[in-house]
Amino acid sequence: MRRKPRSAGRGENLLPADAFYDSKADRMPEPEEKKSISIGDGAAIPTHADSGLFTAWRIAFVGALFAFGYLIVVHPDPYARIVRFLPDGILVTFEVTFASIGIAMVIGLFTGLGRISHNRAVNLLASTYVEVVRGVPLLVQLFYIYYALGHFVKINDMVSAIIAMSVCYGAYMGEVFRAGIESIDRGQTEASLSLGFSRHQTMFYVILPQALRTILPPVGNEFIALLKDTSLVSILAVSDLLRRGREFASTTFMYFETYTMIAIIYLIITLLLSKLVAFMEERLSRYDRR
Amino acid sequence: MTAGDAIINIRNVTKRFGGLLALDDVSLSVAPGERVVIIGPSGSGKSTLLRTINRLETIDSGKIVVDGFDLYRPGVDIARVRQELGMVFQSFNLFRHKTVLQNLTLAPVKLKNMSKEKAERVALDLLDKVGIRDKASCYPAQLSGGQQQRVAIARALAMNPKIMLFDEPTSALDPEMIGEVLDVMVALAREGMTMVVVTHEMGFAREAADRVVFMDAGKILETGTPEHFFKNPEHPRLRQFLSQIL
Repeated sequence: MRRKPRSAGRGENLLPADAFYDSKADRMPEPEEKKSISIGDGAAIPTHADSGLFTAWRIAFVGALFAFGYLIVVHPDPYARIVRFLPDGILVTFEVTFASIGIAMVIGLFTGLGRISHNRAVNLLASTYVEVVRGVPLLVQLFYIYYALGHFVKINDMVSAIIAMSVCYGAYMGEVFRAGIESIDRGQTEASLSLGFSRHQTMFYVILPQALRTILPPVGNEFIALLKDTSLVSILAVSDLLRRGREFASTTFMYFETYTMIAIIYLIITLLLSKLVAFMEERLSRYDRR
Repeated sequence: MTAGDAIINIRNVTKRFGGLLALDDVSLSVAPGERVVIIGPSGSGKSTLLRTINRLETIDSGKIVVDGFDLYRPGVDIARVRQELGMVFQSFNLFRHKTVLQNLTLAPVKLKNMSKEKAERVALDLLDKVGIRDKASCYPAQLSGGQQQRVAIARALAMNPKIMLFDEPTSALDPEMIGEVLDVMVALAREGMTMVVVTHEMGFAREAADRVVFMDAGKILETGTPEHFFKNPEHPRLRQFLSQIL
């Protein structure tokens, strides 16, 4: 499953914590390098700095739009029919994505803070959550929450899908938050403490605002990965984009045409989103510019 | 000087880093308004000693009383004590996501409930004093090292501290920027600020210090006026150190 190499890559690919500096020796200040976390899973983020990828993004995007337009105009039957059948599904896909990413970010923030907490119990709780969730495939988690929990409490399809996605991505997001927080130079904490801020104030006024900038690309990546993974909820009774496609195909037997359109629509959405992430990233990096 | 007069009173402090004795039974008192400069070779424990004065380091034994607060007693309101202790770091450590002005106003607004307008007035006055008022709306990354360090000094002063601690404030600077930072520090010394400065700048020690402290291998080996220090150094280790750097 493609989730496996992904979870294996996490943690190791993140920035090393620069917590291990030597305070007794005469420290030289770190060069003012731009911090970034690179996890390549959601989608490639086309920034201007990476001109090859930028061009690739254009080719893919123009190609997808062209294919979309061409199929609808030249072969309105069945493609225009398929497209008319899908908007409900796109809406559901976005609903699940936005709800899940929102909850996952809240879970991720607390998990990330828990993972760096000096409180043993809190730390252990957060770490165990991350380990367990990372060790179970998302599809199994979906089944588990839908069927196993459905055994005891009646949960609506959509809600159980969102819970499963949030719980899963919350763990990954926790690792992103942790890496983002640890990537901030220890000197920032010391400066804040020396002004008289408490540890909590330091976290919220000084560290998190800077970490947020560092983690924006991976969070954007997670968002895109999550949007794609919502296609898994189609196996539950949630009528997302893929499920709507399956419904259409199973009545018309036009599997090839339907899944072609579904793939193109997913591609257009993720390409647009990766562009949006790139734009936000450039906006947020303004204070790093000289 | 008796311990009662001192604003900083370090008594028999010992600290280990693993097997290394970073501070070996160190005692030092600083009176209000006094300028103490700590010199010594790399790894002598001088930065560690300075950092214990606002508890950025833990200690293994001993006692440090600052402004009447026993720093390492459990339950002491360390954040409150730190408000009275301005600290300037070798690596500036300006808040990178805030403008120069915001760097100066953050702590007074959040910790002293100062109004934003008043905090900005105070901040602009301080920026005037360190000579970079025109950079108020810049981000730290847009400034030179010397400018960043002057902002860092102004940021510490914005809390109106009783004591200023400097941890090798010029060691990360290009030579041509050292002067601008030292000028600000000398001016501060002339105003009567209590200062403890770890530095390699002997010129500053000579010009601004009331007392110079020489450390080596975690111990204070010699203490005296700059006059005494540079004219009649007694300890052979100090003589060797001075001959190497002067």
